[in-house]
This record gives sequence, C-alpha cells and structure tokens, in this order.
Amino acid sequence: MLEGALLIRRQRVPLGLWGATYAAGLVFGLALAALILVRLGVPAPALWQEFVVQTFLTSQGLGQTVTAMIPLVLVGLGTALAMRVQFWNIGIEGQLWLGAMAATWVSLHDIGPAALRLPLMLALSMLAGAFWIALPLALKLLWGVSEVISTLLLGSIAFFWVQHQLFGAWRDTATGFPTSPTLDAVERLPLLGWGQVHAGLWLALGAVALAALVIGVTRLGFYARAVGENRRAARAAGLPVLLIVCSFVLGAGALCGLAGAVIVTGTEFRLSQSIGAGYLFSGIVIAYLARSNPLAVLVVSFLLGGLYTAGGVLKVFYGISEAMVLLVQGVVLLSVLAAQLFADFRVETRRAA
Amino acid sequence: MMDFILAWLTVLPGYVVPLLLASLGVLLSERAGILNLCPEGFMAVGAMTGALLCLAGHDPWTAVLAGTLSGLGLSLVFGLAVVVFRVEQTLAGLAIVALGLGITGVIGRSHVQKPFPGLPRLSETAWGADLPRLLGQQNMLLPLSLLLLALIAWFLARSPAGLRLRAVGEDPAAADISGVDVQRVQLGAVLASGALGGLAGAFLSVASAHVWVEGMVAGRGWVVVALVIFARWRPLRCLWAALLFGGTEAIMPRLQALGVDFPVYLGAMLPYVLTLAVLALASMRRGARSGAPAALGLTYLRQDKH
Repeated sequence: MLEGALLIRRQRVPLGLWGATYAAGLVFGLALAALILVRLGVPAPALWQEFVVQTFLTSQGLGQTVTAMIPLVLVGLGTALAMRVQFWNIGIEGQLWLGAMAATWVSLHDIGPAALRLPLMLALSMLAGAFWIALPLALKLLWGVSEVISTLLLGSIAFFWVQHQLFGAWRDTATGFPTSPTLDAVERLPLLGWGQVHAGLWLALGAVALAALVIGVTRLGFYARAVGENRRAARAAGLPVLLIVCSFVLGAGALCGLAGAVIVTGTEFRLSQSIGAGYLFSGIVIAYLARSNPLAVLVVSFLLGGLYTAGGVLKVFYGISEAMVLLVQGVVLLSVLAAQLFADFRVETRRAA
Repeated sequence: MMDFILAWLTVLPGYVVPLLLASLGVLLSERAGILNLCPEGFMAVGAMTGALLCLAGHDPWTAVLAGTLSGLGLSLVFGLAVVVFRVEQTLAGLAIVALGLGITGVIGRSHVQKPFPGLPRLSETAWGADLPRLLGQQNMLLPLSLLLLALIAWFLARSPAGLRLRAVGEDPAAADISGVDVQRVQLGAVLASGALGGLAGAFLSVASAHVWVEGMVAGRGWVVVALVIFARWRPLRCLWAALLFGGTEAIMPRLQALGVDFPVYLGAMLPYVLTLAVLALASMRRGARSGAPAALGLTYLRQDKH
C-alpha cells in the first residue's frame, strides 16, 4: 500500500536530528491539544494565562505545580527504572494503592512510637509497592506471563481492595464518607511553608539523585543498560541478569508505593478512592518522554505538574472535565511517538524497484 | 437452585457479549501481528457515542452503528501510528486508551447519568412478547455477536483473506514476498478491532445499562486483552474465556439478590483474580506464548534483513 516510500533504518541516530524530531513531535502535539481546548470553549489568550503564567510564573501557581510534581516524579521514576530492564510496569496505580494502604494501615493501628510513625509509614509503603510488583515479576520470570497484563489486572485488584477497606473497616465513622479517618499531625509530611509543598519534595529529589547515581555511576546501572539492550547477550557475558532485573523492577514498585504514601501523608491526609486516578498514564508518559533518564524525569514531571494545575483551574472556570489532562497526555505522547519515525528511519520516496 | 441458575443465565449475556465482541477484535488485530492494548479506549468511545445518539433522540440501532464507527475512527489513529508510523505497539496502545478515556470524559461530561430507553429487549419487540424469560430478556446483539463469532472463526480458518491475515501475523516477510500487502492487511485488522471494540462499548451503554457514566468500561478493556492470551488466539476459545470471566462477574449480583452475605468489593475482585490465576496456570502448563502469532508486536519493514 505504502511501499512506494522506503524506510531505511538508521544505524546511528544523529543527536541533532533526534532532538529536532522530538521537539517537532512535542510542538505538534501541544498545538493539537491547544486547538482541542480552544474548540472546547477555552479562549485562546486564556491558554497562555492558565498554562504558563498561572502555573509556572506566579508563586502560588508554582507551589501547586511543584506539589503536583512530587508524586509524578516518583511514579515516573518507577516506570523508567522498570523500562530500563525491558519490564512494562503498567500496574503503577496498583502499586500506588498498596503503598497508600500500607501507610494508612500503620496510621490506623498507631503502630510504633509517634516519632517513628511517619518513617515507618513511608518504609512500609515501599515494601508494599515492591510486594505488589513482585508477583508479576515472578510470573514473568517463572512462566513468561506477560507483565503488561498481570500488572494491569493487579491494578484493578488493588483498587477493589481499597474500596473494600474504605466501605468497610476503614470508613471514617465521623463523616460516614468512604474515606479513612484523617491522619494525626505526627503522621503528616511537614509543609515547607510555600503553598502546599511538603517534605515529600526532598524524597522525590533524593529518589532522582539516587536513581541518577545508580544508573550513571555504579556498575549495577551499567549492567542494567546491557540487560536493557540485549538480555541474552548480557547473560552470555556472565552478567547477573536476574539480580539486575529483580532489583530494578522491585525498586520501581517501591517508588510507586512510596508515591501512594506521599500523596496520603503529604497532601490528602487520608485514603480516598480518588487519590490514585490518572497516575498510570502519567507514569508511562513521563518515563517515555524522559527516555528513562532520571534527571529528565524530573523535568517532564515538573511540566506535567503544570498540566495538572491548569487542569484543576480549567475545571473550575470553564467547566472542562479533568479528563482533559488525560486527553492532552495522549495527544502529546502519540505525536512524539509518531514523529520518531523520522529520526529512526531515513525516508526515501522513490518507487521500490 | 433452578431459579438461581435461570436468573444467572438470563443476565449472563449482558456480561459476556461485550467481552466476546471486543476480544474478537483484539484477536483479529493480534493474529495480524499487531499487539492491541486499545480496547479500553475503543469501548469507551463506543459507549459514549452510542449513549449520546440515544440521548439526542436517534434510533437505538443508529446509536449502535455510530458507537461502532467511533471505535473504528479511534482505531484508524492507532492503525496509522503503528502501521504507517511504526510506533512501538505497547506505547501506542496505551496512548490510544488515554485518548479514548480523555475524549469521553471531556465530551460526555454533561451527559452523565441521563437514562434513555436504548435497545429494546426481545420481549419488548412486536414479535418476541411470547418468548420465555431467558430469551425475552436478551436483545438482538446477542445473536449478532454469536454470528460474528462464527463468521470470524470461519474467516480465519477457511477464507483466503483469513489465511493472508494469519500469514502476516506469523511471518510478514514471507507474506510480503508472496504478494500480500502487509500494511493493508494490518490496517484492516486494526480497523476491525476498533469497530468490534466500539460495538462492545455501544452494547454496554445502549443495550445493557441504558445510561452513560464516565468510566463505565471500568477495566473491561484490559480484561479483554488478557482473555485473548488465555484463549490462545483462537476465536471459539474467546467465547469460553468470556464466559468464564463474565460468568463469575454475573454470579455476584445474583448471590446478593439471594441475600447471601459476602463482601461486595472482594466479590468484584474475584473475576480478575481468576483471570490472572488461569493465565498463570495456562502459561505454566504450556508456555506463555503458546499459540501466539510469531510476529506479534514486531514492526515489519520490508528493507530489514531477517
């Protein structure tokens, strides 16, 4: 059908060309998203105002954007680590739910002395997230079950578990709503005195630094690259493939679990049914757009945090559903993906002989 | 007990038909080598479009058709991305789901929770009033879906076009050499999966719930992808897979109606646990890729050396 165009795979993609196609894809996607928003009834000048000025250039807006960024960094990093060893972590929301539940559980049962309560909540949330990804990992390693499906199914299962707790034993008796009781003051991440920004920011930045260090400097990171490029060759070269895959994937789960605990202890102060929504796609979008590079994850998460902030504003002022955030992410991701054709291949338009 | 089984069988198609339709779509696309994670998105736009047309006062069959076409439209975007632009299929599929859920959330916002008459049950039609309850409670999409199942099974196994489709999924280079237009076949298969996914979505809103709510697909699209693996990419086994999942799902409200006391959300979790368990067991016994098209998920380029 289209064999008139020859696609020649490039052996090496020049950095400049790669950057140009990436930027072109991004610009095209953003322009398309802007067009959609204007069609939905947002006046064009308001776009600039809401998406740039109010989200990045005012102190209050920037504070909101940074707050939204914190869990995004953690889930984006989680997806990126797994992607590095060719493991599709699509159960981000499941691991996030488990982390949030673990933190809530510690809080409800007042486990440990008050001074150690918060660290315990965070640590346990990481364990819970790692546990929730361990099952798909084991299924994949043992019998080759596709992790795409097993992580997704476990995501749904985790959500039903959360609902089971919230409509049952964990329901807040004071309000009767399906949310857990509010956290005590010692169980909350301290605010930094700038809007809603909380100490989770240091956790997120620390995670980025640690991941950048592991990937960029340590032997483990170097091995992981080999495993990601070609698992069989890595095994043939005698690398500890199993150890590398397990540590990266379990680390990914732990980060997503931590994101759940950070949302509960940093911004929401209770477990509810809505805290995990949307993080699945954001994790994928961040990891892909950042090319699994931890520092780039920070940048993309920051920009995406701005989109979340703007999404909240558009909902209030223009009555546009929060699903807009999802739509924009889908459009931009698809556009960047498609533009990559021109970096990966040389397109020749002569007729095939 | 008999009553219970009858009641269960009566509601069963409402759970099974959408899963069957969407999984047949995924099956067609994957037999042509295109890994398809999109059904959640296809079903979402199908359900919303169908509901919107019903609410606008159109005939329910027009609504079903429009739902089908909306799935087809979204699948065209997916098809262009993976077949023409050679986008990695997992990522493209996820992006399509984001698009589908995003579009439905944004457009459908003002149409949530408005009931409409929708597709009549057979007992409400002029000729079906005397049917026994088990059949009378169904609608015309049930026989249609079974017909589609038979057609697709025949198409894949017996027709020359089906052979070409399977060839593309197994070895696109060989198919290409023997004169099959790989891109056209793959695009066609993807479009079929979009139409079937849209139809499944329209079933949810127009034929089953008679209302649209955001998130009404509720993860069924992901289940569909698992069912196809579990069915080892065979059309008839898709029916059994859909019956297993839908049957477990359908039993829960019936048990509740009987007054059996069990935790609702753990009950709702059960079909997912069961699917995962069955998937793991099947992979343990036969290997996970048993029955999978050999070129599934790979990008075909005529110029690549193999």
